[in-house]
Amino acid sequence: MAETETTSGVVTVEKVRGRSTITRCFFKYPLKLILPKKVGSSQVDAVWIYALSYGGGIVSGDQISCKISVGDGCTASVTTQASTKVYKSVDSKCSEQVLEAIIGNEAFLVLIPDPVTCFSTARYSQKQNFRIFSGSNLVVVDWITSGRYQSGERWDFTSYKSTNCIYLDNDRPIFIDSVLLEQSLVCDIAERMQCYQVIAMVILLGPKLKNLQNQIKEEVKKMMTVKLRPPTTNFGRYAKSEAQHDRFVPDLIASCSTFGPQGIGSVIRVTATTTEAVYAFLRTHLSSLEMFLGAPPYCQSGI
Amino acid sequence: MDHSTSKSCTNANHDDKSLLHWTQWQLLDSVLPTGGFPHSFGLESALQSNLIKQPEDLKPFIIQVLDNTGSLLLPFVHTLNKSPDTETWTCLDNLLEATLTNEIARKASATQGSALLRVAASVFREITELKLIRERFIGSGLVFFHHACVFGLLTGLLGFDGRMAQRAYIFMTMRDVLSAATRLNVVGPIAASVLQHEIASAAEGIVEKWRDRNVEDACQTNPLLDTVQGCHAYLFSRLFCS
Repeated sequence: MAETETTSGVVTVEKVRGRSTITRCFFKYPLKLILPKKVGSSQVDAVWIYALSYGGGIVSGDQISCKISVGDGCTASVTTQASTKVYKSVDSKCSEQVLEAIIGNEAFLVLIPDPVTCFSTARYSQKQNFRIFSGSNLVVVDWITSGRYQSGERWDFTSYKSTNCIYLDNDRPIFIDSVLLEQSLVCDIAERMQCYQVIAMVILLGPKLKNLQNQIKEEVKKMMTVKLRPPTTNFGRYAKSEAQHDRFVPDLIASCSTFGPQGIGSVIRVTATTTEAVYAFLRTHLSSLEMFLGAPPYCQSGI
Repeated sequence: MDHSTSKSCTNANHDDKSLLHWTQWQLLDSVLPTGGFPHSFGLESALQSNLIKQPEDLKPFIIQVLDNTGSLLLPFVHTLNKSPDTETWTCLDNLLEATLTNEIARKASATQGSALLRVAASVFREITELKLIRERFIGSGLVFFHHACVFGLLTGLLGFDGRMAQRAYIFMTMRDVLSAATRLNVVGPIAASVLQHEIASAAEGIVEKWRDRNVEDACQTNPLLDTVQGCHAYLFSRLFCS
């Protein structure tokens, strides 16, 4: 993982006297890293890293690149203090964030940020590469809101791209996901997203997460089965039945897929009409991570 | 483009070009027994989520499915059409396995691709690579026979030019979604045909926009439809596999 002049941040976590310890932490504008000591219970071996941007947001043209290395047996959680705002693009410049992470054997990286919110005309791209081994554990939450939707700014940004790649044993791709939301003549983003204001993806991977993966899979299935019903037989061909129009779309839709050799990973996709609904979903379904991190994810957020 | 192996006189070349048309039409004809259309491309799930409330909602849905097909799968069709060799195919097939993170779509792709390769190996016997590839890899666990990759490989071996192959892929997707829509009673067969003609211009625009890209640039453009399609397994009663 070569560092260059453009590297904005580097964090190395290693075992020191048997405990996960941050042995290197470097950051420079526009990235700021805070390493609070007392986030979770001290009984639990985990370090917490807060990534902040100056001014609370990413400005047009900002390029942020960060490298995280989690050594064998260590646990690290990376989060934010608030949603990452991406301000309007000036001169069509794109802002970019890149994360390169290496997670060692029996190590655990948990990425639980607040969502990205792109303001009107913003252009933003983020890329996250995770290099893992068969014993590594990883949780990644990657999500975006439609903008300042309470003010009427809904999916009004120019372009958003988020790419997440997981490589096993250095070079074998097991998860390559790239979401591109770009205004286009074919279909603008708001039309594509219909009434939904938030899109989220949760990746769970590794032996420590086997139980959680199974649990979430069942919970999502249970939740969604009741929300999905076949349309009435009068759909389409005949006069529109009132019953069809009275059926509302679900406030939250979620689906769960496994991926990777022997299904070592799960990816849950969630979309909802409000950010609060997704915070609640994450809080509920990721609460058992408290035993690994010392504190449950998203408990102070979005309330 | 002359992809014949042994003919040398002008008449024979001309015949080869004409024969290619017959091959193209056969490949795009829904009569080709590639599995009986068990896939709705998320349409059935979208109906049951009430994202599609009335027949008018079908046209934007189809256009969005085609756009997503273009952005995600045309790079694979294009690259294999250009380089229809085993090494490229196994590499890209594994990459597509990692890229199709939606389990429903991934399984559908593998099923459709296997069926296509099976039919193609039987039909286009003069292309011995098809049979050899199938025999070598079936049951090996080394490849997944993803549809876009098999299609790209096949069109490359058959001698389709790249733009034709990519346009054909979008055409087939449109054909299949419309077929699913009639079976799901969203529209009748004539209305579906009207839609097919109306969407053609947008579909051509989609081909133009997404063609000839590298697989590194493959991306999905509709996370809402992706999420909804992922719910297919939760549907209590369903007609389709995906």
